[in-house]
Amino acid sequence: MPEQSPSPTGSPPRPPSESGGGVAATPEVVPATDAAGPSPPDSVPEAEAAGHGRGLGVMAWVAIGWLVLVVLLAILAPLLPIPDPVNDIDTNAFLASPSSGHLLGTTSDGHDVLSMVIFGARASLIIGVGSILAGFLVGGFLGILSGYFKGRIGGVIGSVLDIFLAFPNLVLALAIVSFMGQSIRNIVIALAIVSAPVLARIARASTLTWSEREFVLAARAQGARHARIMWREILPNVLPAMFSIALLGIAVVIVAEGGLAILGVGVKPPTPSWGNVINDGRSDLADAPWITLAPSAAIFFTVLALNYLGDVVRARFDVRESAL
Amino acid sequence: MRVIAVKLVRLVVVLLIVTFLCFLLMKLIPGDPVDKVAAFATPEQKAVIREQLGLEKPFFSQYWSWLSGFITGDFGRYYTTNGAVGETVSSVMGQALPVSGLLLLYSQLLALAVAIPAGIYTAYKAGTRVDGVANTVAFGLLALPNFVLALVLVIYVGAQWKLLPTQWAGDPGVNPMLQWRYALLPTISLAAGQIAIYMRLLRTDMIDTLQEDFITTAKAKGIPPRKVLLRHALRPSSLTLLTVAGLNVGALIGGAVVIETIFGLPGVGRRITEAILAQQYVALQSFVAVIAITYVLVNFTVDILYSVLDPRIRNARAVT
Amino acid sequence: MSRRAPDAAPVDDGRGASGATGGEAPLLEVTDLVTHFSTPRGVVRAVDGVSLSLRRGETLGVVGESGSGKTVLSRSIMGLLPKHNVIRRGSVRFDGREIGDADSEEMRGLWGTQIAMVFQDPMTSLNPVMKIGRQITEPLLHHLDITKKYARDLALSLLSSVGIPEPERRLGQYPHEMSGGMRQRVMIAIAIACGPKLLLADEPTTALDVTVQAQILDLLQKEQQERYMAMILVTHDLGVVAGRADSIAVMYAGRVVEVAPTRTLFAAMRMPYTEALMRSIPRIAEPSHTRLKAIHGRPPELIDPPPGCRFAPRCEYVQDRCWKEEPPLIPGDEPGHSYRCWFPVGTPEGEAARERNRAAGSAAPANAPEAPAAPAAGAVAGA
Repeated sequence: MPEQSPSPTGSPPRPPSESGGGVAATPEVVPATDAAGPSPPDSVPEAEAAGHGRGLGVMAWVAIGWLVLVVLLAILAPLLPIPDPVNDIDTNAFLASPSSGHLLGTTSDGHDVLSMVIFGARASLIIGVGSILAGFLVGGFLGILSGYFKGRIGGVIGSVLDIFLAFPNLVLALAIVSFMGQSIRNIVIALAIVSAPVLARIARASTLTWSEREFVLAARAQGARHARIMWREILPNVLPAMFSIALLGIAVVIVAEGGLAILGVGVKPPTPSWGNVINDGRSDLADAPWITLAPSAAIFFTVLALNYLGDVVRARFDVRESAL
Repeated sequence: MRVIAVKLVRLVVVLLIVTFLCFLLMKLIPGDPVDKVAAFATPEQKAVIREQLGLEKPFFSQYWSWLSGFITGDFGRYYTTNGAVGETVSSVMGQALPVSGLLLLYSQLLALAVAIPAGIYTAYKAGTRVDGVANTVAFGLLALPNFVLALVLVIYVGAQWKLLPTQWAGDPGVNPMLQWRYALLPTISLAAGQIAIYMRLLRTDMIDTLQEDFITTAKAKGIPPRKVLLRHALRPSSLTLLTVAGLNVGALIGGAVVIETIFGLPGVGRRITEAILAQQYVALQSFVAVIAITYVLVNFTVDILYSVLDPRIRNARAVT
Repeated sequence: MSRRAPDAAPVDDGRGASGATGGEAPLLEVTDLVTHFSTPRGVVRAVDGVSLSLRRGETLGVVGESGSGKTVLSRSIMGLLPKHNVIRRGSVRFDGREIGDADSEEMRGLWGTQIAMVFQDPMTSLNPVMKIGRQITEPLLHHLDITKKYARDLALSLLSSVGIPEPERRLGQYPHEMSGGMRQRVMIAIAIACGPKLLLADEPTTALDVTVQAQILDLLQKEQQERYMAMILVTHDLGVVAGRADSIAVMYAGRVVEVAPTRTLFAAMRMPYTEALMRSIPRIAEPSHTRLKAIHGRPPELIDPPPGCRFAPRCEYVQDRCWKEEPPLIPGDEPGHSYRCWFPVGTPEGEAARERNRAAGSAAPANAPEAPAAPAAGAVAGA
């Protein structure tokens, strides 16, 4: 996953990303003597408290709501009563402030910012989901292979993956896109290449824990072939944990697209993406900050929602695993 | 000692592979790189460049000459569009590396300076309202991309309130990171997300440590909470944090690239974007290679430091 | 030492246990100490009304199974409980001063200098990444106004006093470089460093080898005598306190169910739980493969205890009354002896009760229902 990710791509002893914070349960009772100093925590991260038992918390539904809204707007964009971000130019309003005509103002070329943000969601989401999907397919596959065959093959694949991890991600993606040319397809490929090793490593770690379990041994004892075991036994167990990673990964890739755009190798204008609208607005930050702020806010809230849901999902599956 | 030796060997292998991949990148460019970089040169000039770059030679021999040049510090040159030879990449890099290096260093220091007290305090007050608020803020900071923060700072602190400059327009050769007015906003932009990560990391470890029996013993000696936190709880809890902070330096390189571009800092990041736009693939290749190597070296150093710092690991190794 | 029934007014009858200095005011007086924990499952009544008192130079043994509340008691006396979800009531008077409602700053002034605790597991109770020397000098430097050099010399003499050879070398070592027994000696050194008047030893030998246990207990006794400390020795092992405590308090389900000077307890115990505890100690003299006499039944319910005596479900002597009314602490024949039982061991009522139960075929009903079940035929309302 590219650089904007909070998690370092090295090999830290512990993953730094954690369950969502939130207001913890306030301790109730009368403390008779305060003498004990630092107390043990009884805080439950909001994500876990929400997911306790069945049903998700309010915040999770808000997050889902936002994501659904974004996806819907992106899909329905051409049908919405908004100007075409590429072709419709309002010659009366260049760099206009937000007004009733243009809810988020216009760019220096007269394009309506709101429609650029809505249409831009399409590119950003395609890149986000596409890269992670591709990264999963390749990385997940390699990761499971490497985790399952612990011997030579696994070690070799593991080492190759580690090599890839030795590259600072955004720079690698930058290099790939600049050499291959700017297009949505190439960006997806570049970010997929960059995400795959990280996803592979996570898949590998997960596979390693699962392949020690007895039901895998049982399947082997019954003569099941490796491929079948990996498909029927390991994959269904690795998938739920990976789902949380996927959500977080999409967030990271969307941010990475923004970074690439600022570096000049984002989606090629005039096709809008959140990243390149941000970049477009950079030249007019003093006069028309909304051009940059609107897609920035879109990215921020989308990432917030994805992070939150990723934590909720992870809390859910962690609890279940420990209950085993 | 043996362990370190093994790691050193692995390091060298990784470095070789990484440099190979960097070299490979240039070969993957569709079309003729010389045509792109020296678009207006004459065929004879282009031929000279090709000769210089050794593009006619077989693949591995190219790699070898590139690598040997690279190791000795010959990072290639820039080319003008007319086909003339420009500055050496190494001189540009020599000026750019300190800028980026300081940016990374400052942002890590700032992040730690804020995150460590915050982490200690929220661990001490775990479960209270303060802790909840801090956690929510941290969550928000994590979701905020650093370039968004940078742009917001540019808009408000720079453009609207005009408190600080936001673009560096000074001489090349002068390091803007040495001037606090230019260094502050970029440092904050890079540090903010890190603060969130480090604070939560330390908080988790501290909370775990505070449950340990020896903390109760320390309390029972009558030692006040502040000393218990700082003297007893902090040290065992800080190892993970320091390791992650060290490893993160490498991961931040990408983020620094974007931040430099936004603030116009003449660091490695901006040089890379310039090289891309001007299609200076030789320079680009060298920059990418240098970054990758730095990243690998930093990770390696942190790895070694980690095993050295923890007395339990150190002693365990001494015993065996 | 004097004991009081829980609802009687505190009376110091001046009767000391054998061997203790008489006439001196008690150093520690605990009255009706209650410590409850608020948990999601309900309120856990870990300590449910305990009273005791102790003079300097005396040793009180507190004995009970896990869950009896003995550890919580020692922490509660010291005030070393978590901040949240704890309900604490009752009076703790130390050296004439009420400390039950003291705030953390006040307590910190007492910890180390007046009251100290030796913890159970020295491996986890010592800071693994701090040198031993520093862990000993830390309270010295904090509480006393001395130089670092002087503190170091004090630490050296403390280490010698607790029987650690080569103290110079040990100062610079880490806990994991020492054996279990040595670590516990260090713990003791830390505890006595600032010369406390009261020492609470919470299962100090449980984590140690049997061979080392006696040494540590001897060390504790020696330090106590030399420094004229009051000591509370908490343990689950009656054998530990047998020769070393002036009096013993037996705890069950958060209450003191019997307390007596040691000799009296062993010679004339009254509470059936005490008897069962004593019987469960394996003896060397018995032939090998002798079945250990464990106390059957389950540990008591601390969250919503049923009415009546808490030991009823596991008691050989149980009668109808035991299920309905909880016995108060009543004084026994000897001074300083109180117990909580309707049908005590060694009394005519008690013997009769046991006979009845035996005759009915089972020593005690296996199920402990909420509703008091008649244990056997011919239940007679006891005396």
